[in-house]
Amino acid sequence: MKYSYFPGCSMESTAKSYRLATEYVMGRIGIELIEIKDWNCCGATSGHALNELLGLALPARSLAIAEREEPELDIVTGCASCYARLRHAMHKARTDNASRYNIEKTIEEPYGAKREVYNFLDILTSEAAKTAIRENVTGGLRGLKVACYYGCLNVRPAEVTGAPDRENPQAMDEIVALAGADPVDWAFKTECCGAAHQNDAASVTRPLVWRILKNAQANGAEAVVTACPMCNLNLEMRQDGYTKKTGGKAIPVFSVSELLAVAMGASAGRIALEAHHVPAAKVLASALRRHGEGFAI
Amino acid sequence: MQSEKQKEQKEKLDELLRKADVRQYDCYQCGKCTGGCPMAHAMDLKPRGVMRCTQIGSLERIVKSNTIWLCTGCHTCVERCPHDVNIPNLIEEARYLAAEMGYVRRDSKILNEVFLANIRMFGRNHEMLLAGLYNMLSLKPLQDMPTVPHMLTHKLIGVLPHQTKNTAGINRMIARAEKFSSMRPAGK
Repeated sequence: MKYSYFPGCSMESTAKSYRLATEYVMGRIGIELIEIKDWNCCGATSGHALNELLGLALPARSLAIAEREEPELDIVTGCASCYARLRHAMHKARTDNASRYNIEKTIEEPYGAKREVYNFLDILTSEAAKTAIRENVTGGLRGLKVACYYGCLNVRPAEVTGAPDRENPQAMDEIVALAGADPVDWAFKTECCGAAHQNDAASVTRPLVWRILKNAQANGAEAVVTACPMCNLNLEMRQDGYTKKTGGKAIPVFSVSELLAVAMGASAGRIALEAHHVPAAKVLASALRRHGEGFAI
Repeated sequence: MQSEKQKEQKEKLDELLRKADVRQYDCYQCGKCTGGCPMAHAMDLKPRGVMRCTQIGSLERIVKSNTIWLCTGCHTCVERCPHDVNIPNLIEEARYLAAEMGYVRRDSKILNEVFLANIRMFGRNHEMLLAGLYNMLSLKPLQDMPTVPHMLTHKLIGVLPHQTKNTAGINRMIARAEKFSSMRPAGK
């Protein structure tokens, strides 16, 4: 399978382990990602906060390039915010002629919105991908209890994402189970992490992160798994107050790609697990060790 | 008799509702939006209150609220609304209107402007520059600073991004978006 790939800005910086793990996993299961030529920032969140048309034009430019360069390929991204903005532009162009006219005039290029925009969860849960994952998982992370955190924008708004279940989604739970892990039932799968407001309203958004972590741990999770670099960063980097102010215990946070990569035999160094803010390798190593597999930390 | 000011407010409110594609009387004040809102604890006007203000014609309270700047756009409210009232749409339109009317939350404005400056320069978002400039301009120099050494030593930040080559095109696009949006066709 081949897709046009929109990495998003975080993949080039703070989401280093996510990027390396994604490249590793996609290579192993035979999904080819073709980076969109000269893509630009999707604008989340400030683009659409400032100006509606700008919020549509920024993602539409990259989508139009993708459709021009690779007209046969659907588009995929690994970031929930990018996914929402790209899909929003696609949805608008498809359903509202006036918007599409304005978008095309602004990006100075036709944009037919002919191809779909997917997130990693969509493409990893296709039957072909699931079979390939099963074939490539060697030992697996048997018994590792994880809380699958979807965040907001992988599932909402319904009319844009088309997600079948916005309160209790299952795609990531299915994927981590293929990696041998044990997804726990918990209440905060799609609660907001505060997104960009962790910058401009830090004091009132930090508790959003803490209550997500607390609920994950209350339901027995040893780690949280995400499908978005921004969710991952917020849940991981903002744990300081959680441990100091609320007495919570630090909990590692991984992307779904990292979990798969480790289950497929990637070493800790291969996917830069040491780059995590909260030490991440140990919990994975002990899960692998549970059934006698080694793991180079 | 309505005063001129009231009349003007009403017209603006009607236009806001039309642009947001929201009918205010679809809301029967059940409060599920506020119950699910992750930011309600910090809002001076809760999502249900925003809807109530549209019903009683108080545009001023909406555009002056911190609500429109604290909403994260998570869409939990509309997801759970029994009448599909699109509050996030309404809030987004209210933000544009508030900006036009000169009511802007300082920190939001700084973040948005730094963000846009980033896109103008690189076509992409440089996370370290974004956070660094925001911290300086918002006079919060220490925010997130304890995490910086870790991010530098692990090369999570500090490397310039592979920037978009056609930044000139991006800048033209931003200028056009700003120009056209003042004459965008009303309604959805």
